[in-house]
Parts: sequence; C-alpha cells; structure tokens
Amino acid sequence: MRVFFLSGLVCLAVQFVAGQDKDMEKELEEMKGVIEGVQESFGEYRGYVNDLRKIKISGYVQAQFRNADLEGTAASYSGGNLPANVNKAFELRRGRIKIQYDDVLTRFVFQLDGRQSGVTVKDAYAAITEPWLRSIGFQIGIFDRPFGYEVTYSSSSRESPERSRVVQTLMPGERELGAKLFYAPQYGGMSFLRIDAGVFNGAGPLSPEFDNFKDFIGRVGIQLPFEEAAAELDLGVSGYLGQVRNATKYVWSMGSPTEGFVVDSLAENLDSGVDRNYFGVDAQFYYDLPILGGMALRGEVITGTQPGGSTIATPPDAFGIRPTTISPLAQPTGPVYRRDFLGWYVNLVQNLGSNHQLVAKYDVYDPNTAVSSMDFSGSNNLSPADVKFTTLGLGYIFHWNEYVKFVFYYEWISNEEVNSAASSNPDLAPFVSDFKDNIFTFRTQLKF
Amino acid sequence: MRCDLHEQTKGKRYMKRILLFIALSGLLWGVSNAEEKVTVKGSDTMVILSQRWAEKYMAVHADVTIQVTGGGSGTGLSALINGTTDIANSSRPMKNSERDKLKERFGTRGIEIKCALDGLAIYVNKKSPVKELTLAQVKDIYTGKIRNWNEVGGPDKKIILYSRENNSGTYVYFLENVLLGEDFAATTQFLPGTASVVNAVSKDEAGVGYGGSAYGEGIVELGVKKDENSPAYTPKLENIATGNYPISRYLYMYVRNRPEGAMKNFIDWTLSDEGQAIVTEVGYFPIR
Repeated sequence: MRVFFLSGLVCLAVQFVAGQDKDMEKELEEMKGVIEGVQESFGEYRGYVNDLRKIKISGYVQAQFRNADLEGTAASYSGGNLPANVNKAFELRRGRIKIQYDDVLTRFVFQLDGRQSGVTVKDAYAAITEPWLRSIGFQIGIFDRPFGYEVTYSSSSRESPERSRVVQTLMPGERELGAKLFYAPQYGGMSFLRIDAGVFNGAGPLSPEFDNFKDFIGRVGIQLPFEEAAAELDLGVSGYLGQVRNATKYVWSMGSPTEGFVVDSLAENLDSGVDRNYFGVDAQFYYDLPILGGMALRGEVITGTQPGGSTIATPPDAFGIRPTTISPLAQPTGPVYRRDFLGWYVNLVQNLGSNHQLVAKYDVYDPNTAVSSMDFSGSNNLSPADVKFTTLGLGYIFHWNEYVKFVFYYEWISNEEVNSAASSNPDLAPFVSDFKDNIFTFRTQLKF
Repeated sequence: MRCDLHEQTKGKRYMKRILLFIALSGLLWGVSNAEEKVTVKGSDTMVILSQRWAEKYMAVHADVTIQVTGGGSGTGLSALINGTTDIANSSRPMKNSERDKLKERFGTRGIEIKCALDGLAIYVNKKSPVKELTLAQVKDIYTGKIRNWNEVGGPDKKIILYSRENNSGTYVYFLENVLLGEDFAATTQFLPGTASVVNAVSKDEAGVGYGGSAYGEGIVELGVKKDENSPAYTPKLENIATGNYPISRYLYMYVRNRPEGAMKNFIDWTLSDEGQAIVTEVGYFPIR
C-alpha cells in the first residue's frame, strides 16, 4: 500500500515537472519569436541608421566684443569696420551651419553663414574619389581656393580672429566657383604629398562670372615628419595664374615712384585680359615641447601682380570699378590699376597643456612694392590702396571644453607713415602718421 | 587695555587666515596627490587587450585608474583630436586628415606607439567544409564576384557576408589591404563590433566574417594563401611573426604629446615583458 502510494506521488511529481518543462518550452519558443522579431526590426532600422550616419551636421557660432582705438574705426581686416560713433560693440562674426554627406567615395558639402547682415552660401560642392587607389579626386562647386595655407585653414580652428591682411585682400571670402583635381593619399609611401589644382571663375564666391577668363589655382604640399623628435615640417608652393577683363581702354601701371601710376590707353586694351598672378610659399613647423605642449610655427609669403582699382587693391569682385549691385548683368566699369605686391606673415601658437594657447602673429602687406612712404605726394595719383601695413597680434585662448573656446586678442596695426606732403590729399591725410586703428577682440566660439 | 584687545582681535584674525591658508594648502596637496586617471578609447579589436592591461596594471598601481572604452578606431582618434581621451587605440595607422586636425588643434603630430601585432582572421561557421582560401578569393567573395560557396569548394549555398562598420580600423584595414580599395558587395551586412561578426557567423552556416584573431572562439579561422601556389597559413604567432600569414597588422596606441607621469608609466608597462605577455594571453602577438 505504501509502495503504491509512493509510486502515485512520484507519477504526480513527474507529470508536474513535465508540465512545467512544456510551459517553459512554450515560453522559450515565444521568447525566441520575440527576439527574432526584434532582430528583424533591428536589421531593418540598422540600414536606415547606417544611411543616416553618412550625413553629418556641424556648425559654430562666433560672437564677439570689439573695442577699437577710435569710433568708426576702419577695421575691415580685423572683422569688419565699426559704424560711425561706435568704437565698442557686440557682434555676431560668424554663424555657420554645415551639412555634409560622406560616402566611401563621394562627399557633398553645403555650408551657410548667418550674420547680422544676412545669410550667404559659404560652401556648396561635390567631391568624387576614384575607387582604385582612393587618392585622386575631382571636386566642383564653391569651395576654398587651393592656395597657400591660411586660405584653407578653417575659421573655427584658426587662432587669430581673422586671416592676415594679404590673404584677405587677394582672396576675399576665401572661396571661389570652379572645379579642381586633387591627389591626397591617406596612407602609404606617397601620403606625404598633396596636390590640388583647378580652374576657377575668378569673380569671387558671391558674384556671377563677368568675363571669359578662367583662373588656374594650384598648390603642391609635402609633409616631412621627424618622428623621433616629435616634430613635423610641412611645406607648400602655390600658384595663381589668371586674368581679368579690362572694361575700358585704360590700364594704369606704375611709372617712376614719384610719378605714380601712368596710363596706357591703347584702344586694344578694351576687353583685353589684365594679369592676376600670385606666387606663394608656405611652411608650418610643429614641435612637441616637453612639459609645455605642442608648438606650431606657421609662415607664408605671397608675391605677384594684382589688378585692382584706383583706391582699392582687392580683386575685381569687390573693388570700386565694378557696380556694387550683384546681378547677372553687373559688369566692372572702371579702369584697372596694376600693382606688384608682397605680403607675408609669421604665426606662433604655443599650447600650454590641453586647454590654453598663447598666440603671436606678425603680418606685413605691401600692396605696391614700387613705392615707399616718401613717394606719396598730393600731386601723384597714389592712394590708400598703396599704403603698406604691418600688424602685430597677441592673444590668449582658453578651451573650456571640446565645444567652447574664449579668445582674447589685441592687434597693433601700423601703416607706413606717408610723406607729409600727401596730406593735401584727404584720402591720404590720415596716413601721414600712424592711423589709430588698434583693436581688441574678445570672442566666444561654440562649435558642435 | 583697548590696545591689548585690539591686538588680540588682530592676532585672532591672523590666526584664522593662517589656518585657512593651511587648510587650502592641504586641500591642494590632497588634490595633487589624488588618484591619477588615464582614459583609453578606440579600437574594438583592442578592447579586451586594453582592459586586461588595465586590470593587471591597476592591481599593482592602486593610485592609478585606467578607464578603457571601445567605439572603433575612428571614434578613438576623434576623441584624441577633441581632447576627450588621453590614449587612442587604433587598429590602423592614423590618416593624414586626422593628423592634420591634431596639428591644427594641439600643434603636434601625435606620438604613435606600436603595441601588438594582429592577424586578421577570416571566420566561417564551424560546420563549413571550407578550410582555406586564397587572398584573391577572399577579395572576390567580399566584392561580390564569388557569391556561392560551391565556387570555392563548399556546398551549394549563397555566401552571406558580414563586416565591421566603417568607423572601425579593422574595416579600413580590410578595405585597403584585402579588397585593395574596391567596394564591399552591396549585400554585405555591417555589424557594430567584431563580437557581433563572430556571433553572426557562428549562427549562420553560410556566413563569412573577418576580425581580430582574439575573437576567434566558437568559429573556425580559415587558412589563407597568398596565391594559388602558396601554402595556407592560419593566424598563429609563428605564422605572423615569420610574415607567412598574409593578413597581419600592427595595433597602435596614439597620444597627443610625449607621454608623462601615469600615462607614460602605463604605456612603458604595456611594452614591457609583463605587458607583452598579456598580448599573447589575449591572442595577439607581441612586438618584441
């Protein structure tokens, strides 16, 4: 009887356990189904996510406070002129937003710049890289001119608030409409070399083309690492070979220094091309200073011939011989003034740990090397566009974190003091002595 | 009397200031002697190796914290450029474009430290009869020219391709050195980590994947031949050290500046006999 009772209990227990096993199996099957469902959904969404990862949105805002020596200071090379009656002001210097699509071999970039004055397109280009070596590519649209170092050095990374005067004068806005080929291997024995060469309108980034002359711009750069010394020397040679259409039969070139500009008025000058040729050499030296941190010493020399206006040395998209109205019908109307120029800068950046940087920059721009300060007189036709400037900038940068930095920067700007006889010319009178245009900039940058 | 009181009050004030000074000095001393922290970020291939290094090192250096995270070589190098990690682990050399960003922000080209050798294994499911492939076959499989296992001596099954995502150094290395720059076949499934690739292949009899040999458990690592006439080699120490295994690479640590203090001590230790012994334990190959 006891055996029978015990057997019954065992049977009940086995049935109970078997039942539980079946329940568990059922639950496991259900769970498996749920997991497979989640896996399927995950696989589907992973495709979307991978596609979305090719799109990057970035940008930065540069808000600043400037304090200049005088009200209404001409500070067009230090972030823009200050209005009349104002020598201190808060400003929005740059507000950039950039959308970038990066696939393995293609890149599309679109960047806008928003300021108090409005919104402009900064970059809009497509780049395609060949699939075999992945070193040679083609790029078309609006993008940085491939000339020198500072033109292509991002405003968000640059330590001085603005580019040097020579770069701003020769290549205002940095960008240009055109197409280029580039050779930029990322790895291997040739990765020390980068070549960019292209053909561009030459009219500047914002205006439509106004002539049939296309400009060649190119740079060859090499990197020479010294790994044992934790140092690197980068060198580049750049060339700009272009022409602008002369809208008149007048071409002004320098005669003797005291004579100033003399005119060539042959009838065939009308519609002819006036040379716009630059040659540049740039060098950057990087060295990891023990205890202090990385040091960057950068320099660039640019020389050549610049076609400009009578009172302004910028190229023919912004100068006075062209109507200020930008429309497809806008054409330069004034004569061209040719100047041989020389400009250079040296820029030292010393990192102190990860968050602090000290900056020193010295830049020189002589827009007309054929004249010296004593050649200016009220009787010849030299203008402020021929006055040489030097700028010494000293600054400190504090990187709050990877997104935010604060820049404190002071610029001592000096012009060559022109002959006092030139004071009879009201445009030149301010340059008889050093014009009061020193300026302090405090800038906050938020980058994302 | 008033004069004495005044002197006493003045004395108490000085005493308070001295005590405050001592307290602040003590606080500063304490902060300066606090635990040192080194952050390491980057290559998923190197996560296990780095974690093992960190554990062993911290076990005998209690005053140092080594914090290790993955994310991929590209992610680690971005963090180095942004200043959010001290050491970037990378299973590929730094690109020129990355070095340029480092130079812009920190004025330094960075310091490269080769810390281990890795054989990049080609995985198949353990039930697969395929045991070896030539480099050209691996390339053709991943570029979609070979689509069925029966073309390389296997069963009549469509080949299912698994790969790392493009933020991975392993992906870049494979693309540059095995696919020779050609695109992956459109059917390739890109997974977020080498462990995911191994997991997918271990569940898929028609699957093929690639990754660091340290992750090779549970699946079969194929022998790889340089060409038709060469013998096949598996990613083992002797084959990688002799250069016979055709898909091998260095694993790197990158730092911004010359390492100092706790970071230097840690890096020196990883390159020591003890550190390199861990490289072998984890399944990679020592550099010395």
